[in-house]
Amino acid sequence: MYRKSIAAAAAAGLLLLVAACTSTPSGGSAGQVTLTYMTFNSPSLTPTFWKDSIAVAEKSVAGLTIKQVVTPNTDRDTYAKQLEASGQFPDLLQSITPSQYTGAGLLQPYDQSWINANFLLPQGNAIKGKVYIPPTNSQIIPLVFYNKSLFARAGIQPPKTWSDFLADCAALKAAGITPIELGGNDPFAAGIPLTGALSADVLGRHPNWLRDRYANKVKFGDTDVVAAAQKVRTLVTKGYFEDGALNVSYANSITNFNAGKAAMYPMGSWYLGSVPKDQWSNIGVFPWPTDDGSLVIPFAVGGSMAISAKAPNIAAATKFAQAWSLAPANLKALIEGDGAFPMLKGKTLADYHVTVSPVFTTSYAYVTDKNTKVSAIGWATSDDAMPGALNNDFYAAAQALFNTSDVQGQMNKLDQAWSTATQ
Amino acid sequence: MTATRQAVVGVTPVAVPPPRRPTRTRFRRIRQDGGLGVIAAVGLGLYLVFIVVPVLLSLRSSFTDQNPLKAQSNFVGLNNYREMVHDSELHATVGYTLLLAVGVTVAANVLGIAFAVLLNRTSLSYRTLRTIAFLPQVISGVIVGFVWKTILTQNGLLNNVLVHIGVVGQPIDWLGTPHLAMLSVGIVVSWVLSGFTTVVYLAALQHIPPELYDASSIDGASAGQQFRMITLRMVAPATTISVTISLITVLKLYDIITVLTSGGPANATESTAQYIVKLAFTSDRFGYASAVAMALLLLSAVIALSVTGLLRRREVGL
Repeated sequence: MYRKSIAAAAAAGLLLLVAACTSTPSGGSAGQVTLTYMTFNSPSLTPTFWKDSIAVAEKSVAGLTIKQVVTPNTDRDTYAKQLEASGQFPDLLQSITPSQYTGAGLLQPYDQSWINANFLLPQGNAIKGKVYIPPTNSQIIPLVFYNKSLFARAGIQPPKTWSDFLADCAALKAAGITPIELGGNDPFAAGIPLTGALSADVLGRHPNWLRDRYANKVKFGDTDVVAAAQKVRTLVTKGYFEDGALNVSYANSITNFNAGKAAMYPMGSWYLGSVPKDQWSNIGVFPWPTDDGSLVIPFAVGGSMAISAKAPNIAAATKFAQAWSLAPANLKALIEGDGAFPMLKGKTLADYHVTVSPVFTTSYAYVTDKNTKVSAIGWATSDDAMPGALNNDFYAAAQALFNTSDVQGQMNKLDQAWSTATQ
Repeated sequence: MTATRQAVVGVTPVAVPPPRRPTRTRFRRIRQDGGLGVIAAVGLGLYLVFIVVPVLLSLRSSFTDQNPLKAQSNFVGLNNYREMVHDSELHATVGYTLLLAVGVTVAANVLGIAFAVLLNRTSLSYRTLRTIAFLPQVISGVIVGFVWKTILTQNGLLNNVLVHIGVVGQPIDWLGTPHLAMLSVGIVVSWVLSGFTTVVYLAALQHIPPELYDASSIDGASAGQQFRMITLRMVAPATTISVTISLITVLKLYDIITVLTSGGPANATESTAQYIVKLAFTSDRFGYASAVAMALLLLSAVIALSVTGLLRRREVGL
């Protein structure tokens, strides 16, 4: 009897364990539906922001309950794939790279007429003509932010050309001011200058470069790409980055720049959300400079959430996603906290009731003005997205440029990695 | 039923005690044995479900081109294993992981035995210190990574102290240059593992009979001689356990490096475990990642068995 009861308890325990490890369908009783929504936290996208924004959008779909799944870090794609591998692919996925999933048919495209009706660049992040993430906002990656008072102290102006930029760096260094801040301990941040150089110099002259790379018509090892990467190496060898730039975390780089410890800060436009109010009039911005001074804007249209093709109720998921994507309060938080440039049709900044810095307004003008926009290499989520693992290799190459003069070798390595990633 | 039985040979009936009636104690014992059997069966079942089956599934996956985003996969034979021969990034990660395993194992065990000797006292203050010494082992690797990242970055605690007291003029690039980053990871992991090794050695030290030290003192042995001839020999079984577990821990190291350096700069501190995760969930090459995982499992098993065998033989020789 005793043994039987232990065996029964053990069997029940095992069953519970198995049940706990098995994914269950998210549907509920008639009229009720539960959907999982993968989000991520950042200094500007806080748990409170998600809780509030989800609650508002949830109300637009009767009977819907959203179960939030928070990624352990900002690498949404890796976590989404781990969830897929364990049979728990979320029904809604915030800010992922859709190109990594569309080949496997895991995402549900949005209705194009809804996209066309609501967004300024309906095809801004389309993949083979289909939109998997509402193009609610955009970023410029990178812009170069600068400290006006430090520029004035060194007697320099924002550069127009690459040679102006080098001259400014030299003047700053001569004045005892660290020219460039970089949080290179975080690989993505180390990759920002290389993104700037390649986007401006290579894609600026050859906007279809990434698609041609997929077609094997061009390579990272080509002379023009190596020359662009060499520019980053030049900044390293001349000592223009702050000392120990790869030993500085991304978070510390923001603190350092805001505290006036360096004169320039190449970073994605999301930095606009971190400009302290007391620095609003002291921080300026210019695009990554090109050789001839032509204006090239490395651009990426981001957006809100993708919908899983396996969601138990795609209609409810779509309704929720649409409501969340168009909610002015969500965009207000993204504009103010994450420096996002809104891309909703028929709306101006004033419509979002936001309070933004002058440097935000200047930066946003690069989006709304007519100019040469190219895909920000490594950040675009459209057909110009790099194959999955390439971003990590790109960041590693950027970090390597701080410790090796073999720029050609690093670019060749990217070509090898590309071949492996696309085989 | 008779209580006696005839001896097979001989005439005298031999009194044989009747079979004992099961007593309450025996019942309890039977129950306990049965209970233990059930518990063992549950443990074995869990081991099968959570260890053996996943390993077998990984083994099967290693012969396929499985992609985590695709339902179908194809059998590719030994292609994944062949690819490993030419994978330079894999070779680099294995090289670094082995270097780290050897360096950290030596450092953690030297630190462990040193701390254990220092803390081998019975007073309350030493008991408190022992708890502190074990702390690194109980803290999550992710937290350890974050804490040490704060200490080692350019404006971190260590550089501030070193610059302030004039040991260095400029902050040291602990995590920014490949060799220093590799060393920094080694130091952090050694610190974590020293908590474990200290406890193992401390337990061993407490089982050394004090008479051995008393006798050697009478014979005029110095403290150094006592340490070499008594302490080191008597803790030999603990050394076997400590060294083997340290090696295995480092061979599968993932969390601390991920937080501390993300495998950088330029993949210099990427461990094999990190590479496996990258292959599986960034490159979407689950099949190849499984093959690398199988190779790492085999490598770990070979190293662990060899080291254990070697140290066991050493124990016998001492």
